[in-house]
Amino acid sequence: MPHKWGMAVDLDRCTGCEACVVACHSENNIPTVGETEAARGRAMHWIRIERYWEGEFPEVQVKFRPVLCQQCDEAPCEPVCPTYASSHSEDGLNSQIYNRCIGTRYCANACGYNVRFFNFFTPSWDKPLHLQLNPDVSVREGGVMEKCTFCIQRINAGKVSAGIEQRPLLDGEIQPACVQSCTANALVFGDLADPDSTVSKLSKSPRGTKLLEELGTKPKVTYLQRGSWDDSQKR
Amino acid sequence: MTRKSDSSLTDDLLRPVFETSTKFYVTAAVLAVIVAAGFGTWFYQIYWGMGVTGDNWPVFWGLHETNFVFWIGISHAGTLISAILRIVNATWRRPVTRCAEVITAFALMIGAMFPLVHLGRPWLAWWLIPYPSERLLWPNYRSPLVWDFFAINTYLLSSLLFLALPAIPDFALIRDRTTGWRNWLYGKLSLGWQGTPRQWHRLESAMHMMALAIIPIAISVHTIVSFDFSMAVVPMWHSTIFGPYFVVGAIFSGIAALNIVMAIVRRMLHLEKYLQPIHFRNLGKLMLAMSLLWGYFVFNERLVTWYGNTPHEMAALWSTQLGRYSPMFWTMIFCNFILPFPLLTIRKLRSITATVIASCGVVIGMWLERFLIIVPSLSYKGTSYSWGTYLPRWPEIVIFGASFAAMALLYLLFSKFIPIISIWEMKVGEHSNIKVAAQVQESEAAGELV
Amino acid sequence: MDRRNFLKVGALTGASATLTSCGNPEHQMIRFIPEEEIQGGIAIWKPSVCPLCATGCGMLVRVVDGEAEVIRNGKKGLIQMGLARKLEGNPAHPISQGKLCARGQAAIQVTYHPDRIIHPLKRNGVRGSGPFQEITWDEAITILLSQIDGLAAAGSQNALAFLTKPMRGQRQTLISRFMQSYGAPPPMNFDPFGDQVLRRANAHSFGHEQLPTFDIAQSRYVISFGADFLGSWNAAVPQSAGYGEMRQGKPGHRGKFVQVEARMSQTGANADEWVPVNPGTEGVLALGMAHVIVNLKLRPGNLAALAEYTPAEVAKRTGVKTERIERLAREFAENSPAIAIIGGTPLAHTNGMFSALAVNTLNTLSGSMGKPGGISFMPQPGKDAPPGTSFNKFVTEQLASPESPVKALLLHEANPVYGSPSAWRVREALSKIPFIASFGSFIDETSILADLVLPDHSFLESWVDDVPESGAGIAVASVAPPAMRPIHQTRAMPDVLLDVSHRLAKPLQQPLPWKTYEEMLKDSFESISPGADTWNNAIANGGVWGKTGEPGVRPLVPLFPRYSEPEFDGEGVQFPFHFLPYKSQSFLDGSLAHLPWLQELPDVLSTAMWSSWVEVHTETARGLGLVQGDVVEISSTQGKIQAPVLLSPGIAPNVIAMPMGQGHETFTRFASGRGANPISILAPMAEPETGALAWAATRVRISKVDAASKLILFAGGMREHPDDHR
Repeated sequence: MPHKWGMAVDLDRCTGCEACVVACHSENNIPTVGETEAARGRAMHWIRIERYWEGEFPEVQVKFRPVLCQQCDEAPCEPVCPTYASSHSEDGLNSQIYNRCIGTRYCANACGYNVRFFNFFTPSWDKPLHLQLNPDVSVREGGVMEKCTFCIQRINAGKVSAGIEQRPLLDGEIQPACVQSCTANALVFGDLADPDSTVSKLSKSPRGTKLLEELGTKPKVTYLQRGSWDDSQKR
Repeated sequence: MTRKSDSSLTDDLLRPVFETSTKFYVTAAVLAVIVAAGFGTWFYQIYWGMGVTGDNWPVFWGLHETNFVFWIGISHAGTLISAILRIVNATWRRPVTRCAEVITAFALMIGAMFPLVHLGRPWLAWWLIPYPSERLLWPNYRSPLVWDFFAINTYLLSSLLFLALPAIPDFALIRDRTTGWRNWLYGKLSLGWQGTPRQWHRLESAMHMMALAIIPIAISVHTIVSFDFSMAVVPMWHSTIFGPYFVVGAIFSGIAALNIVMAIVRRMLHLEKYLQPIHFRNLGKLMLAMSLLWGYFVFNERLVTWYGNTPHEMAALWSTQLGRYSPMFWTMIFCNFILPFPLLTIRKLRSITATVIASCGVVIGMWLERFLIIVPSLSYKGTSYSWGTYLPRWPEIVIFGASFAAMALLYLLFSKFIPIISIWEMKVGEHSNIKVAAQVQESEAAGELV
Repeated sequence: MDRRNFLKVGALTGASATLTSCGNPEHQMIRFIPEEEIQGGIAIWKPSVCPLCATGCGMLVRVVDGEAEVIRNGKKGLIQMGLARKLEGNPAHPISQGKLCARGQAAIQVTYHPDRIIHPLKRNGVRGSGPFQEITWDEAITILLSQIDGLAAAGSQNALAFLTKPMRGQRQTLISRFMQSYGAPPPMNFDPFGDQVLRRANAHSFGHEQLPTFDIAQSRYVISFGADFLGSWNAAVPQSAGYGEMRQGKPGHRGKFVQVEARMSQTGANADEWVPVNPGTEGVLALGMAHVIVNLKLRPGNLAALAEYTPAEVAKRTGVKTERIERLAREFAENSPAIAIIGGTPLAHTNGMFSALAVNTLNTLSGSMGKPGGISFMPQPGKDAPPGTSFNKFVTEQLASPESPVKALLLHEANPVYGSPSAWRVREALSKIPFIASFGSFIDETSILADLVLPDHSFLESWVDDVPESGAGIAVASVAPPAMRPIHQTRAMPDVLLDVSHRLAKPLQQPLPWKTYEEMLKDSFESISPGADTWNNAIANGGVWGKTGEPGVRPLVPLFPRYSEPEFDGEGVQFPFHFLPYKSQSFLDGSLAHLPWLQELPDVLSTAMWSSWVEVHTETARGLGLVQGDVVEISSTQGKIQAPVLLSPGIAPNVIAMPMGQGHETFTRFASGRGANPISILAPMAEPETGALAWAATRVRISKVDAASKLILFAGGMREHPDDHR
């Protein structure tokens, strides 16, 4: 049975520390665009922590929300790509196939979550920062679109290991970089096709919601709502 | 009715082909420099990357895409007007048709450049051609961009045909009047035209068929271009109104462009006798009709969005009505609606100059409209944390300017190549072809011809 | 030309064309024989310890082979070697528990930093302006030896000084022993933002001069007074892990979290309830809660001692309403185990000791000290280092005398020129010193004054060890071998120190018996628990950890806090705002500003990248005619800086806050000349007992200036509603 990779994000645990953001950069060879380009709005944070203020001083609150590619089952970015660079994999992932991308950027416009990023220039790394690059992840050239892949290189490596050892994958064995580094264990990754996996169970939680569900994209990331003190009072 | 003798008509209309003034060379040189600057900038953009533009996250489309839609829109007047006027047999169309068809051809060519210009990896654009590729992939037929590819190419081909066919008798005319390389060239282009009744009949049938065929093609082209937007679930893009809205807007901007071009051609090539106030007035009436229709669509779109009050659309809407993009929006309303109205309706104000002013306003207004369709929606899409802004940078502006220079240059060079007013059609209009004469007399009686 | 010559020329040009058309000039480089056994393409995992903050997270380093440009025997060439590619938390390590914070993830960029010092340097011009000249290690050690020998020969051993950030573990031991054996004063620790006040308060209250460990996971109620414990304070990684468990780790039990501070921090953003207080009154609130708890007989206590802290009185002083004080007190008492945390800003007032002792009182009252879900202190084996020399005293003495008392200074992991208020005149004090040697990996504001640079390895290339001060309920001693071979011509500082110690003209009184740091570490670990296995297991696992016999909290008669009013520099209308510098999420105290990932990381609350900013209350800003991005001049009695304004609803109207970290003059291409340094304008206020810098006690004024705004934000909208947008 094919896998169906999904994630759960517990907003009650997320502290906004952004370990996931840097872990993702480190794992996926994401270019650092520099001050000038960042000022032009070209920073590429495949996962970002959205921050929303609510209320006014002194009754003020902040909400954090990690947003990454939702790997939608009805991904709006897929039908619009003229070269199938954005396409659906058997494991339910929205694959971004760099070699096919001719850079129309239509997928990024169609994406309702704004999780797609474009290489406006061909990235370069001041030596010897290039020695840090992950050899399991391609380095993209200018003109190509990119986004969170759920660390497909780790998924593939996990499948290969399990295959060599001739055993099924264990729940929690594969962890994308963000999930692995999350200090509060707010991110959970797993197989939604396995009803016993943690992520499957969390996806059915009464606290669970989907981001921009009304767009009909069928995202595979479940957001578990923040609790409140009143919840805590109930034992 | 003033009868112009055949030979003076032919002489007048052929003069620009055979006589070249210094002004021509100077203008052509200046335009060529601007066009070269445009190409130079494009290569600069290819070499360094799309980063030289103002595109960013999340506003990934900007001036290039605006220009794309704008030029494809301009292309509509030509063939559409020419075709519709042919079908309804509006005889006043005769001096206008080739002017219009040429606009279409060149506007399409220029417009079709912009999809290449906006690509991140344009050297791979050929992957849009459906051929059995080594990648084992066809183009994604679900993508509106692939539909664009087919639609625009189809329209381009048919427009060129629609331009080339009625040019044959004029090519033959030039062939018969020239020697040397010109004679050879026009000989080839005229495809052995001798003006026999059978050939005339074939030409008329072909033109008629083309006119009928090209109208749905033209409508579908801009509808398909509108699908680039309406097929995406983006605030204020995902609207059923986009198809007809774009087509109307295209015709609107096309007529305006036609008016401007005709006025320039009239002045530069001394064609005052042939391009007369009545032509401008009639086109002006059409433009006014389009202005009303366009205004109706805009009002509809805005009212429905506002009334619906869906949160994810309101930010984009308010940005155009009151926010960051409102100066552009209200300028657009002024240019497309408020300015043309008095200039085209009040009898005292009506003149060629007035029509041209109104048309300039419309061209500006319609360009702004394309920008306002694309950019505000992308600025305010998705979660508010990810909203962004856009400002064009010099490469986009240079290429934008160069596209206008290219249009002017191509038009200029074309006028050297073939008479800008279709000679045989003018003659047909003048001669005592019984059917035509009768119509002419009828029209005369109705006070529609000067 | 005839055909033969043509072909010749063609062959020549063709050949050179081929060579150059190989594209990469690296293809013309020498390829050295690999120095280690490494399988191509296979990743191996090695333990290490993160050095970027005091927490000491154990990590695992993913090492995959690659080709690096190195210098061997003076020749440039390529070598195939194991290269660190990714850092992860070590799942077995009790502190990191398999996690790393954003900064820990970025730490790998230290090793591969393009501006790292790659060989020893000698000053070759006017001090402080660069330039440096490359020298060999032999030359460098010779110079250093001659200086140290010179001092010994003149009998001025006490004129040698060592300046370092506080280290735990064997590095500190080595430095201390070296200095002591040589006859020099103990090393100076530079750490003005390091919560010394809390350590001293804990010594008074609980007998441990140490930062506490919080068992947040099992706690039911956490109230934090200004401590950014989920971000930049104390052991943020294990504290965050505990926080996650407190929230959703036990079905049906969700702990409550309250944050008390004048400026919304990243931690405060997660609170169920956010309580703004007047700066410097945090301790008053804590005792107000204690008063209510004792008054309502929720816990036994001495009400007489708390008599003056009635809700009404506390409300007046703190700005917190009486109902709230009473409710918080009741909640704290009724939801056991409950923890009160204090850290950061409240300790940085002149009455920081009072506030710390007040919170310690609250904790003692709660009955959670030393219990699950409460507060404990990590056993600290081998605490034999004598107290260090006071940095402030050193600076004062330097400035006081025309002849520099210190004749030779050794610099290690400290940048006081940047990290001190200008009022301290550190640059002036250091400039007098005749000889300065730096072990640092980068040229920064302080190391640029050096005469000699002996660049240390990066942590991934070093033997690393640490004894974490807080974050786990058991004893931990981390140790790890180098995760990769050095890519540059650097040497481990401990090895250099040991080498020097063996080559002194006048041998040390108590010679250091180890040739290398590895030997020293092996010795120390085997002394913890003898046996060859201990060492081998330790270096395989990244350390040793386990329960020890040491009691957690020693019951003492706690010192009752005596009230002291916070003092501020700059009063009244002249300086209307409290100025709160804070450790930024990316750079902490500024020592991490050189890492590009951290510069581009959007600060989670402001979303700013590559920028400095000052947070001003939205209405206050409007009143001053300021819009977002306007540049203001912030003036204290000590000086002025400029920064763009960020409008914030999460800050009190009479407070402005600014992150530390930018404003480096000299600190690699990524940090130099960017933004402004709030530390520079701080007034030299101090907490009286410890002498610690009271860095929250400065008041300022702001005024708009005409300057280009350099506020780069990642986010568009601030609020989720559609009608609020940038």
